[in-house]
Amino acid sequence: MKSQKTQSAINTYLKETGGWVASQLEACTRCGICAEACHFYQALGNPEYAPVWKLEPLRRAYEQRFTVAGKFKLALGLDKKLADSDLEHWSKIVYEACTVCNKCAHVCPMGIQLGPLIHAVRAGMAAAGLVPADLAEATEKQKTIGSPLGVTDELWRERIDWITDEWEAEIPVDKVGAESLVVFTSIELMKFPDNLAAIAKILNKAGESWTVSSTGREVVNFGYFEADEELTRLFMHRVFKAAEELGVKRIIISECGHAYDAFRWAAPNLMKVPKGVEIVHISEYIHHLWKTGRLKLKEGAFDGETITFHDSCKIQRRGGIIKQPRELLRQLAPKSFVEMTPNKEQSLCCGGGGGVISIKEADANRYAVFEMKMAQLQEIQAKAVCMVCSNCRLQFVDSVGHFNLPIKVHGLAELVSKALI
Amino acid sequence: MNWTEILNFSRGPLLHVAMIIFIAGLSYRLVRVLLLGWERDKAKNKGSKFWGAIVNYLKGLVVLPFIPWVRRTFRHNELTFIAGGLFHLSLFVILAFGTAHIMVWKSLCGFSWKGLPTPILAFFSATGIISMVILLLNRLTQPVLKLLTRFPVWINWLVVFLPMITGFIMARHLWFKYEVIFSLHLISVSLLLIWIPFGRISHFLFYFFSKTIHGAQAGKRAVTP
Repeated sequence: MKSQKTQSAINTYLKETGGWVASQLEACTRCGICAEACHFYQALGNPEYAPVWKLEPLRRAYEQRFTVAGKFKLALGLDKKLADSDLEHWSKIVYEACTVCNKCAHVCPMGIQLGPLIHAVRAGMAAAGLVPADLAEATEKQKTIGSPLGVTDELWRERIDWITDEWEAEIPVDKVGAESLVVFTSIELMKFPDNLAAIAKILNKAGESWTVSSTGREVVNFGYFEADEELTRLFMHRVFKAAEELGVKRIIISECGHAYDAFRWAAPNLMKVPKGVEIVHISEYIHHLWKTGRLKLKEGAFDGETITFHDSCKIQRRGGIIKQPRELLRQLAPKSFVEMTPNKEQSLCCGGGGGVISIKEADANRYAVFEMKMAQLQEIQAKAVCMVCSNCRLQFVDSVGHFNLPIKVHGLAELVSKALI
Repeated sequence: MNWTEILNFSRGPLLHVAMIIFIAGLSYRLVRVLLLGWERDKAKNKGSKFWGAIVNYLKGLVVLPFIPWVRRTFRHNELTFIAGGLFHLSLFVILAFGTAHIMVWKSLCGFSWKGLPTPILAFFSATGIISMVILLLNRLTQPVLKLLTRFPVWINWLVVFLPMITGFIMARHLWFKYEVIFSLHLISVSLLLIWIPFGRISHFLFYFFSKTIHGAQAGKRAVTP
């Protein structure tokens, strides 16, 4: 059965299908090698988690509308039209068993961009109103309250004041004429205030002219997790508007991977972005401050226990910030920094990104994936792990607790701030 | 109709019709995709799209098909990966350097080149055939492939396998009379050419899109594809 909502999903798929999407769907040989790269498939063994299978709704919509073979297959009964039940079925697969980490694209012999294509599949789900309830609820909170964690304006102000006092870190608010606008995540504000304070201390130490904004205060984009284009734009618009009002030269995205991906790579293709405002990630900016001599870091401050670095899909594999955090870590722990394998572009995802961690029903999935991460950590006998994404960090902290592991989880900024000279 | 007539028919009208369907069908599909429109990516580059694409082609063509361990990703399915790589390599070697095929190329483009010695050709054609059998067994047993495989996939396999096996038998002068096996080879080649525009064997055409896109996207983001 096909209802109006399925039709809206199909319409979204057809709208998304330009040559870019079509040529890649046509290139797929259905070899299944992408499954080898998917941590959800590897951890759980469900063949439906193979990345190529996640594209089924998009493929069907495309083939049946635009290709002769697709029309033939439909007429001969070799393929089925998309029905409500199909979308409901795939909604669980694309939201609960995919972090859109795009490792699959790196192993695909044809180089198909499975991540962005799965994002397109999600877009259809969002149009049909088939987003998992927990994710939809957080998105609604971001839309109405301004934060997916439900942080109100008053609470935001209170937390900023509290962090300022508690860590003795000055945080300029709404400072017109500042050079950099730093936008944090609610996760940092509520769960990792140490990281927020650390960033403040680092920027103050470097003499950076910076500010936070009370209107553009949330960098996380739950619209982007859902792949709802309108909400994605709305949430970024709040930040861009604040940047324009404050007259900043750059927007510094704090430790959030999806946000960096949205602002750096998606925004210019989705909306009008302020001219002359660069988008940088906090880890590359800290590296820049250190390299240009504005920060001095104590060499070997964290030498001792083995420490490793976790690559985040959106910041490293899709963001290209690969060498900067490593150079910082080699300064902080030249003797104790050890790489996990595989790493960098080929790294294994944490399992909590792409909105997965906000969906309660996906808990079993992400814990199963984390067991693979755990094996990586244990292989090198890591005692501490460091990362530059709060979403990864949330998954690590939660899972380390769940599995009762003796491993410390750090944000990179937090380590840097402790090594400031 | 005797076998000489069948041979004349299959290397004459049948092959010509098959080639017309092959070219027209693929052109249609290519144009269909191109006409869907291409939007310019407005995000500023971090690295070079050009170099990303070059590196991606080099890695894809030279390194990865034969050294699956490079990425430590294929540890569960190395054989499939190697079989896939060897199948394609064998196919290209036989098509480009098989003595009989060089004559076909000469009739099509007017010039020729030197073929490989028979034992090498025999090795590659056998490798191609064995790889295809391995890939078939893999497709029959792997859970992901079982899920993905629909009826047209078996046709894909068959129409590729038939020219390979008939070509192998013909080149080794086994069992059949020349007219018979040559006719069968040409009929199977025609079948392949006719089927390509309808199935996923056409991936060789879109390979250049997806491979360029991936390389350029990686290059743009300053990561290794």
